[in-house]
Amino acid sequence: MTLSSLAAIVPVPFFGALSCITPAITRPTLQFGVRIPGDRAGAPVIRRERRAYFWRTAAIGVCWTVAAVLLHGYGSWWLARIILLLELAADLGCFQIARKNIAAVKNSEGWFAGLRQTVATDTNWRADPPRFPVRWLLPALTVIAATVIVGAVRYPGLPARLPVGFGGHQVPKSIVTAFGIVAGQLYVTALWTGLMLIVYRSRPDIESADPAGSTRRYREYLNACTKAVLTLLALVNVTLLLSALQKWQVYKLSGIASALPLLPFVVGLLIFAVVAVRVGQGGTRLSRVGPVNILQARLSRVGAGPSGRAGQGPQPRTDRDDDRFWKAGLIYVNRDDPAIMVGARFGVGWTFNFANPAAWLIIAGIIWALSA
Amino acid sequence: MLLSIEPDGPVPIYQQIRDRIVEAIAEGDQPAGSGLPSTRQLAVDLGVNFHTVNKSYDLLRQEGLLRISRKSGAVVQRDPGSGPPDPSWAREWADRLRTLLAEAAAHGMPEQDIIRQCQAAVAHFAFPAGEGAA
Repeated sequence: MTLSSLAAIVPVPFFGALSCITPAITRPTLQFGVRIPGDRAGAPVIRRERRAYFWRTAAIGVCWTVAAVLLHGYGSWWLARIILLLELAADLGCFQIARKNIAAVKNSEGWFAGLRQTVATDTNWRADPPRFPVRWLLPALTVIAATVIVGAVRYPGLPARLPVGFGGHQVPKSIVTAFGIVAGQLYVTALWTGLMLIVYRSRPDIESADPAGSTRRYREYLNACTKAVLTLLALVNVTLLLSALQKWQVYKLSGIASALPLLPFVVGLLIFAVVAVRVGQGGTRLSRVGPVNILQARLSRVGAGPSGRAGQGPQPRTDRDDDRFWKAGLIYVNRDDPAIMVGARFGVGWTFNFANPAAWLIIAGIIWALSA
Repeated sequence: MLLSIEPDGPVPIYQQIRDRIVEAIAEGDQPAGSGLPSTRQLAVDLGVNFHTVNKSYDLLRQEGLLRISRKSGAVVQRDPGSGPPDPSWAREWADRLRTLLAEAAAHGMPEQDIIRQCQAAVAHFAFPAGEGAA
């Protein structure tokens, strides 16, 4: 098995497993892209659909992995990519089946009827914003610097033609062809750092039922996710450095050992996956019992609302039913929302508000930089 | 300050934002001199149109509760410790209060209940020491 076939096969079981576990790391009030009141998280239809989704995606993952392994010797490089695409399409189909079934029961039983649907924010978030962990960016930048230095030292001694990619294809030596990998490192680092900086300016996902607790959990979640992303970035840069070293003929690996450069990247992905599972989307898997702060004490009063404090007991609040803004349960389109990025509906992470022209500008910029 | 609104509720969003800020000022969460987020930031945080927040801030500015400047942004101008309000404002407020209380009486709420509700609401306000509801 060569590096190229291994690189092609590994994503199939990886994304299969990821699809399988995603419902577990998603917000309990968001089941397959459907917003539900907190007390409905254990509804029979949800338990049934989650179970069905798990087994369906597990079977899909196993089947396509077997297919990828059996077929890796046949066809060309695109066969494995088609297999991966088919697997993802099948997983998306499973998601849509679960979404449709849950939404049908939710709407027919009127789960949100009579509930007070609110959107909450904490202005202290802006007064005391979380700090971007700049120091965690240093490893990624150090690796880029190391790549540049090694490249500069090796450049005079390189042959007239250099290999490109995994296929053994060769191109004439020039600064652009020799240092293409550094450009790749810079692109990945700038892209992810830029996106995380936008995320830091985006709104935190605050639960109406527990504003203070969810704000604290979101802070921890943002911190953990950013550090995991920056660690992944550093390891991606190491992977690129290792492949650059091969290209610059510092070392040569053959057979299964040629997969070595991929190892840091895989480790980075695993670290991110472990962090995602530990914290959950928006910090929903973090401990619900945290240090009682002044904010919480204050919010417990405000949370009761004007009618609550008038002696009738707090009126239960729930997050707003915002399904109509999420196309296919995954794509956020809300013209009234000035946000560029918002918390993802399924899985851990963020997504764009596709009704915001700024989001399209950013996407266009990312694609333009990739093609340049 | 926690700000919670019902985007699909019967009260217009700009009015809800204005009401929550007034309550926060009365409860001492936003004392005079404290800043509020920029209209753009609050709009992003609540997921509402920028003009909606602008309308709320403008309303509060007209009511004399907020000062808005290009340099320092939106700053709370008055709070329970700022001294007695303008007499004409107090008269107009008393009229509105009378209508609100009349609604309760018209719906048959007993006098004691109305008074209790008023006391319960006032109990949460941050009056300066020695000026409490008692």
